[in-house]
Amino acid sequence: MTDPVFGLIYILIFPGFLFLFLYALFLAFLDRRIAARMQQRVGPPFFQPFADFIKMLGKEVIDPAGVDRAIFDAAPLVALAAVMTAYLYVPIIGNSPLAFQGDLVVVLYLLSLPTIILFLLGWLSRNIFSAIGGIRAVTQLFIYEVPFFLALLTPALMAGTWSISEIVVWQQKNMWFIFLQPIGFIVALIGLQAKLERTPFDIPEAETEIVAGPWTELTGRRLAIMDLTIDISLVVGSALVAALFLGGPMIPWAVTPSWLETVIGFFLFLVKTLAVLLILSSIKVATGRIRIDQVNDIGWKYIASASIVQVGIVLVMNYLWVYA
Amino acid sequence: MPEVVVSIGPHHPALKEPVNFKVIADGEKIIRLELDLSYNHRGVEKAAEQRDFIRVLPLMERVCGICSHSHSTAFAKGIEEIMQLEIPPRAQYIRTIIAELERMHSHLLWLGVAAHLIGFNTLFMWTWRDREAVQDTLEEMSGNRVHYNMNEIGGVRSDLTPAQVTAALARLPNLEERVNKYVDMVNYEETMLIRFRGVGKLSKEEALRYGTVGPTARASGIDYDVRKDDPYLAYADVPWTVVTDTHGDVYGRTRVRVWELQESVKIVRFCLENIPEGPIRVPAPKNAPKGEILSRYEAPRGELAHFIRTNGTDKVERVDIRTPTLANWTSVAMCLVNQNIADIPVIVAAIDPCLSCTSRITLLDTRTKKEGIMSFDDLIRRYRSRNPERVWP
Amino acid sequence: MTGPLTLDMVAGKMKDFGVTEQVRRNRIRITTTPDTVHDTIRTVQAMFGFDRLITISAVDNSRTLELVYHLTGPHRMVVSIAVELPRDLPAISTVSDILPPAAIYERQIHDLFGIVFPGHPGLARIVLNEDWPDNEYPLRKDWKPNPDTFYGGIKGEKI
Repeated sequence: MTDPVFGLIYILIFPGFLFLFLYALFLAFLDRRIAARMQQRVGPPFFQPFADFIKMLGKEVIDPAGVDRAIFDAAPLVALAAVMTAYLYVPIIGNSPLAFQGDLVVVLYLLSLPTIILFLLGWLSRNIFSAIGGIRAVTQLFIYEVPFFLALLTPALMAGTWSISEIVVWQQKNMWFIFLQPIGFIVALIGLQAKLERTPFDIPEAETEIVAGPWTELTGRRLAIMDLTIDISLVVGSALVAALFLGGPMIPWAVTPSWLETVIGFFLFLVKTLAVLLILSSIKVATGRIRIDQVNDIGWKYIASASIVQVGIVLVMNYLWVYA
Repeated sequence: MPEVVVSIGPHHPALKEPVNFKVIADGEKIIRLELDLSYNHRGVEKAAEQRDFIRVLPLMERVCGICSHSHSTAFAKGIEEIMQLEIPPRAQYIRTIIAELERMHSHLLWLGVAAHLIGFNTLFMWTWRDREAVQDTLEEMSGNRVHYNMNEIGGVRSDLTPAQVTAALARLPNLEERVNKYVDMVNYEETMLIRFRGVGKLSKEEALRYGTVGPTARASGIDYDVRKDDPYLAYADVPWTVVTDTHGDVYGRTRVRVWELQESVKIVRFCLENIPEGPIRVPAPKNAPKGEILSRYEAPRGELAHFIRTNGTDKVERVDIRTPTLANWTSVAMCLVNQNIADIPVIVAAIDPCLSCTSRITLLDTRTKKEGIMSFDDLIRRYRSRNPERVWP
Repeated sequence: MTGPLTLDMVAGKMKDFGVTEQVRRNRIRITTTPDTVHDTIRTVQAMFGFDRLITISAVDNSRTLELVYHLTGPHRMVVSIAVELPRDLPAISTVSDILPPAAIYERQIHDLFGIVFPGHPGLARIVLNEDWPDNEYPLRKDWKPNPDTFYGGIKGEKI
């Protein structure tokens, strides 16, 4: 049981919610800036996502006739709460003090809540475009979730534990999983891009076809909170991939004194999440949107089979070398 | 399963122009389509009957923003042929240069819009940035980025100075390099191929039967191009080839347009280098003799036909404008059946619709002097009462 | 049909349908009567390969209403088939069964000139708005906007 004061500071301030809020907005800015520079534009200044958030909070909330106002107000908050809670179990600076066996599964579950909330909002919006968008969001969820989960569970298989923090410790002792399971890393990145509904998987909110999909009727503070949810999911997803495949906030060799090791580890964590963001942004810029039936095709034919192959390889490796 | 009516338009982010498709769909597949055009009528044909030729030319130009020079030139050359005027060759070359520059800017615009519609915003940003080079050239030559107003009955309004010619020629190599890169992209970029291939297929017989024109027809293997069939301006002097493709789907139409971009660059370069000296216009009589002419022109979107009937006065008796987009709507409605809803914007955009050209007839504004306020509820009620068969979610 | 098409070739065959003349280097004009238009078009399609409809133009020359059908083919010639219709009850059978693109042009002409095309699949309003009053044909020469008639749209919008 950890010290309650320390726990409160960890959860609320650093590296908890305050840091998360600022870091999420910073990563959102970086994403937009990188994309703009690749498209030979200038891009927004660094405080843009923060300014957007504040502005959106003050805008008028419009309720379409006949929608359930209570659910429309509550749903974005539930999504936000889910991803913020998921964040607490990812090791940011050292091990997470809330770690327990199985927190990997909890994090994965909490990360899928925003998509389900989007579907709910799309369905309840009494608007055919939102309904189509919601259906597409859930269809895409079914397609990428299986390979995504498998790719993120193979590190757990090899490390022999269900806790993210212990997987990170295992990597520090042995080798980063990106070298041991490269296929899994690629599948995890693709799954993350699909989970965050970014190009080429942004079919649920395809602006040019269905207005904004399930986001159409979100206005004012509801939109601000859902946007923040997606930005935080970006942080949590990148941090998760960094923890599971790139060794998390640990350096591969021991440094004394231990506080220095923690600090360097934290900076390495920042670098690793930025690296993941760079890859995701490049994918977003370099591709166009693909149709939902094409996502279905590619998802089941290539991505799911790749993840199953990865699981097979891990089982073989476990039997032959890791636990021999 | 009940039929779901998805109404796309007239206000919709997918469409750059107001048109209404009532798409009757089953899941994502389209069963049937009802087309509702003409939300933006302006009365151009009637207005043209009440103005003399000098005043009609700017009106013709404003039929469309992107193909403004096409309408103006088609009308001018029709009237000139009725009057039996011989246009000086320098004027013909200048008109050709502007026409091909217009074709380039239109095709680059289209390429960006098509990329945007499939979510490929990077290509959208790049093509529109290259389009700025064309727009700069047009602005230097004519003073405006659209609506160049270069035509007069009898020639062109203003001359090209040597400085303008040099500046334009200097921009061409970079533009050509970018266009070659787009040709590569269209043929090898995976996300474009996967969204464009096999979508909106139109076979050669269907294209002929439905009367398609322009790049849409040329993508199905029909080699109609008015610039070769019925040469006008300086096209007979310039060495160039008609571009066709056999695919017939959106991919084919994209290829035709980027290849036409390459051809246009060559034509512009030839004209700029070989422009003859001489006067730029001849004086035109005030009245036109009685006559009739069908003036055809290859606009960026296809074949444009102005049927002009004159009656000896200084006004036309009738100008009937048949725009390429109007000719292509039938093919859109036909090839949208059995496609996905997600492909509607792409297929519609593939004919490069310009509704400004399509709907040109009057929605007269003679108001009654009565005033009244219609509330938002009344508006909704009125719209609902007119469309009782719609499925209201 | 390969090779250039000359006036004599066309004139000879089309004698029974109407008067033929060459108006431009590549345009031939045939003047015919309303009842023979359908057969004329079918003949030029079959015999000379004019398989593409460019447009159907309608003109009001203050005495009658004229319709001109322009067709072209792979030989690149254009043939214009002209008919005159009386003003009071202008009607001519549709050609959209042999030329599908004619459907749109006939709808447009019906909207603006009031010419009826029996046999047309659906002469709904295409160009004017749906609450435009009936029997007002804007492009006729004798039409003037009547200030007391309501031409559709939203009444008296306070801006």
